[in-house]
Amino acid sequence: MIYNLALTLAQQPEVVERVLRVTRHRGFKVTEMDMHLGDNGTTRLGMVVESDRALELLSHQLNKLIDVTECEVLSAKPAATRYPQHASA
Amino acid sequence: MEQGQKIRGADAVIKALAAHGVTTVFGYPGGAIMPIYDALVGAPVEHLLSRHEQGAAFAAVGYARASGKTGVCFATSGPGATNLVTVLADALLDSVPLVAITGQVSTAVIGTDAFQEIDVLGMSLSCTKHSFMVTDVDELVPTLYRAFEIAASGRPGPVLVDIPKDIQIALLDYKAPLQAIQPEPEVESSQLDAARALIAQAQRPMLYVGGGVGMAGAVEQLRGFIDKTGMPSVATLKGLGSIAHDHPGYLGMLGMHGGKAANLAVQECDLLLVVGARFDDRVTGRLASFAEHAKVVHLDIDIAELGKLRRPDVAMAGDLRQILPALTQPLEIVPWLAEVARLKAQHAWSYDRPGDLIFAPKLLNRLAAKLPENSVVACDVGQHQMWVAQHMWFRRPEDHLSSAGLGTMGFGLPAAIGAKVARPDACVVAVSGDGSFMMNVQELTTIKRRQIPLKILLIDNQKLGMVKQWQQLFFEERFSETDLSDNPDFVTMASAFDIPGRTITQVGEVESALDELLDAKGPFLLHVRIDEAHNVWPLVPPGASNRDMMDEMEKQT
Repeated sequence: MIYNLALTLAQQPEVVERVLRVTRHRGFKVTEMDMHLGDNGTTRLGMVVESDRALELLSHQLNKLIDVTECEVLSAKPAATRYPQHASA
Repeated sequence: MEQGQKIRGADAVIKALAAHGVTTVFGYPGGAIMPIYDALVGAPVEHLLSRHEQGAAFAAVGYARASGKTGVCFATSGPGATNLVTVLADALLDSVPLVAITGQVSTAVIGTDAFQEIDVLGMSLSCTKHSFMVTDVDELVPTLYRAFEIAASGRPGPVLVDIPKDIQIALLDYKAPLQAIQPEPEVESSQLDAARALIAQAQRPMLYVGGGVGMAGAVEQLRGFIDKTGMPSVATLKGLGSIAHDHPGYLGMLGMHGGKAANLAVQECDLLLVVGARFDDRVTGRLASFAEHAKVVHLDIDIAELGKLRRPDVAMAGDLRQILPALTQPLEIVPWLAEVARLKAQHAWSYDRPGDLIFAPKLLNRLAAKLPENSVVACDVGQHQMWVAQHMWFRRPEDHLSSAGLGTMGFGLPAAIGAKVARPDACVVAVSGDGSFMMNVQELTTIKRRQIPLKILLIDNQKLGMVKQWQQLFFEERFSETDLSDNPDFVTMASAFDIPGRTITQVGEVESALDELLDAKGPFLLHVRIDEAHNVWPLVPPGASNRDMMDEMEKQT
């Protein structure tokens, strides 16, 4: 599936690293990103990700990040290509 | 320090720790954290010097787990900080409240590959609940307060605060920040009603209890639930001690090395009530066949665990102290309780072993019987860890410290040190194996330094037992690098640290040796050479269903 996410982040220097690390580790591939610093101390990060996994496996983990204040799912649609899933241990 | 007087960042660190009730920190000094160590001199916060940062941090974990308070450790930049990584990961997987404070090179030279510089913030991302690098001295105190709040709230975890040296020596006005109390998530009454209905309808309900119960302070509520519902129960490695061990419906640990009765009852249940547990692979065996006919009610503080591995029929993220009483109701499950009792009797442990060699399960069972009520057992990782879980029992979850999620060899000795510092009146026993013991053996010096009256029970089978067991069972007995018969003479080694000890090899020596261990006024090492042929049984082979446990009779040579 392809998921279009809109995240609101606290403006910390490492916050994008945090989001990308969780996204990769939980088995999602980032295909597009778009980031803007707001003037109210927050950052807007638009991100398109692709995975065979259920979105909640990512969105719940992103929501747990202290500096992620909102994780909104704008759309979800089936992917044209399938990427290999992480092996389950 | 007078009101309004500026103080150094380093002094503010100590003051913030004291403000959080921290009386002991564990650590090891170095260049980039020297101002903080300077501030420790004469401070109301005691420092326990370890001989390796991993030892310090595991002591802080042991302190936290035995007391329920947040543990604190210090390390310097570079190698000091990298030596913390394993412990941070351990605390993350076992949800232990820990604040790690690291010194960092001065802000002016960060990013220049300065001496002992590593990107600690970057390194921390995958092994902490959250982390900070303080770059503004006015943010130092609010950051430390926030670190304590994050470490202990919700699902607890490790928080790292990296403090550059120039921030430590800069001056600031110390003001305690106002802290907002984060409310726990509210549970919807419709979910409670749905869960109550599923519980009421179940003919064969089982409670599957994890470490979350102890972390939530919900042991009383859980025991009240069990007493009123009569629901039979099993526990994970971290859940041990949550349920009264002598409760008739309690079947002990489930999973890969769980009891047969526990695993079979879970397989047969029609409702699994999961409380503060997370369907770990060591618990479930083949996930698709785990309790495959059961409806699932899943309760946890962390919403990310709900549905992560098993889709629940009803799930609630919230405070177990509120949810469990709301689900309590009398149940009519007499036939099921009879079946559970039959399984429990049929698969009870047997301690009858022929011969003169020492059978570790029986030794540990005797130790459990001899321990005073206020006791803590910290174990290491491997075969002895599973024998402790199977054959000992614990009054409370904080009485059993075990590296569960990460499975870190070397956990036991430093964790026991921290537990003894946290609970000086408790009898604290470190149960270790000959492999694990050597992984943080330098901490014997910490025991010597403070003459910490710790009991060390070293179970020695001259092998890296759990790995060798798997080589025997699943790698056609090709024993690769698991022979540890070149171990040092452990009692001689302990004596070099002024720790008296004794070695036993025969079953007839066990009773007097355990008494000697427990009666010793100071630290003591009891080195037990056990029957090397014995492995951990039963066992769910990798990829198998928990229904298909291997028994000793099938494979043991």
